[in-house]
Amino acid sequence: MAPTLRSLAPLLALALACSQAPQRPVSPAEVRALRVAALPEGPDDPAWRAAPVHAAALLPQDVVEPRLLAPSTVSLEAQSLTDGKRVAFRLAWSSPGHADTVIPARFSDAVAVQLPARAAPEAPNPMMGEAGLPVEITYWRAAWQAMVDGRPDTLAALYPNARVDHYPFEAASLAAGSPEQAAMARRFAPARALGNPMAGPRPRPVQDLRATGPGTLSPSEQQVSSGAGKATPGGWAVVLVRPLPAGLEPGKRSQVAFAVWQGGQGEVGARKMRTGWIPLALEGGK
Amino acid sequence: MSLVRNWQIGRSMSYWYPESRPRRQFAAVFDVNKCIACQTCTLACKTTWTSGKGQEYMLWNNVESKPYGYYPLGWDVKLLEKLGPQPWEGKQYKGRTIFEAAEAGERALGWRPAEIDYAHPNVGEDDCAGQQIVDGAWYQVPHLSWFFYLARICNHCTYPACLASCPRGSIYKRPEDGIVLVDQGRCRGYQECVKACPYKKVFFNPMTGTSEKCLACFPKIEQNLAPQCFLNCIGKIRCAGFVHLPEKADPENPIDYLVHVRKVALPLFPQLGLEPNVYYVPPLHAPLPFLEQMFGPGVHEALATYRKAATDPDLAGLLALFGSTEQIVHRFKRRGETMYGYDDRGHEVVKVPIREPVQVLTSFDPRRGVAPANVT
Repeated sequence: MAPTLRSLAPLLALALACSQAPQRPVSPAEVRALRVAALPEGPDDPAWRAAPVHAAALLPQDVVEPRLLAPSTVSLEAQSLTDGKRVAFRLAWSSPGHADTVIPARFSDAVAVQLPARAAPEAPNPMMGEAGLPVEITYWRAAWQAMVDGRPDTLAALYPNARVDHYPFEAASLAAGSPEQAAMARRFAPARALGNPMAGPRPRPVQDLRATGPGTLSPSEQQVSSGAGKATPGGWAVVLVRPLPAGLEPGKRSQVAFAVWQGGQGEVGARKMRTGWIPLALEGGK
Repeated sequence: MSLVRNWQIGRSMSYWYPESRPRRQFAAVFDVNKCIACQTCTLACKTTWTSGKGQEYMLWNNVESKPYGYYPLGWDVKLLEKLGPQPWEGKQYKGRTIFEAAEAGERALGWRPAEIDYAHPNVGEDDCAGQQIVDGAWYQVPHLSWFFYLARICNHCTYPACLASCPRGSIYKRPEDGIVLVDQGRCRGYQECVKACPYKKVFFNPMTGTSEKCLACFPKIEQNLAPQCFLNCIGKIRCAGFVHLPEKADPENPIDYLVHVRKVALPLFPQLGLEPNVYYVPPLHAPLPFLEQMFGPGVHEALATYRKAATDPDLAGLLALFGSTEQIVHRFKRRGETMYGYDDRGHEVVKVPIREPVQVLTSFDPRRGVAPANVT
């Protein structure tokens, strides 16, 4: 019996859909950084269409206490581009809750890229590096992105119904916005007074970190990375851009590892989904 | 995990780090029977340390009515329920501490309060437990209904769960005085300490992204001065000092005398295994099973001793020293009806009469030709 037009309709629809959404290149075995002239700063930049997608499987961090025992985010899509001096990663994963506040008992969605501080045949321990073999981490947090995108650094932004009678550093005797007032306000915010980078407003949603093993994470001396994240219908798409680490240049190879935190599941710090080392290949030329 | 000695439970136990006692340990005795829950201590702490943005809900010091008062809500009963019934055998604890009962992947058995648990700082105030009072009831001892006030600060534990739980070592115990602090420069706000501290005395500051806690007013301790909540206590229920191990107890040291020699002051929930260093003279008029659960098996002996304090000049005199000076009293000595307190260099800092002289006002004052009226 000859097929009728009606019976072919689903196939036609599928063919039409495929023609509208071009097949994205994939790189199943490694993260391949394509060489481009200029790195995109955002996740929607058309430059990403050419970058092969590596689907990285994530495992719970279930080795060092405190551990994550129940898997949450099982995979992350990673793409990479390089301009020869810097490397950019576009990371996309699903996070239904879009958790972007950090308050008591609530945590933020976050993602991180980890590279060996020096590209060398001997790779550091993929779990935060080891003594003598440090790793460099670029960390993005949805709560910081919200602040960069305009959420004020105020209590009212976190608790819209909060009413506070008085803060000592807002006394009438101190001119609003004066250096004296700022100095006094700092005294009432110990972490800010000590320059803890976790505290306070920030111009960028990312942080550069360095580690030589679990529990050793500390901010890098130079904050050199940039990034931008955007909520997608089911999760996040984040671009992280950082300088190439020592010893890594176009045409060479190193390793990369990723970690994802679902704030809505109480994931923070060591409680995360993570990968082991994934080969990272930088396209040469130009 | 290491095996460490915890004298409060009469045995060794597992802890995340090896035993490392400070050169001296800050400690305190609170006489629960004298507390009137005026919350002056709470406000003294609040105005000194936590009037910044993000600290609005923090009460490093609080006073709650037991059994129904909590801050945060259910801080003690939620953990006790998780831990389940655990046995003591005499003075030795045979049950599991929160370190020994830690679930897979955790460093201590804990729970994380929800925001709503911090919503009512004085929930349960003056709520009574016990029998229902019906018409025609009369005053009885023991009371038909009971409650007592429990003033709480950080216990500056010998084996802090906050310190053990921090995956990046941002919490430390000072070797010079045993005060437990969160390094505000290093903390990354994981809130593991909030989850692990059974007393729920670490609070997350959403404006700085770090956790903060009671610091025992260490700048004052460094000058031999009692913390703000001690100084401002209206009921003079608090005594600040330093505690030694039982075998090194100094009978002239006020804390050692009350804790080790007379055994009248007891740790709060010793069975949890933290060796907390705030000691409580338990309340006289509360059911013993409740007090045993809260202060351990020493509660019978403590109450028996405390009941005789009126006829015990050394104990009465020492209790009268509480709150009588801002200086930390390191040694005490009784001479006759007067109790003397000395600082760490042996200088006399205070003397108090064991009994205040009693003035009896007659109903009519013939010298002035008036009948005095009580106007308060």
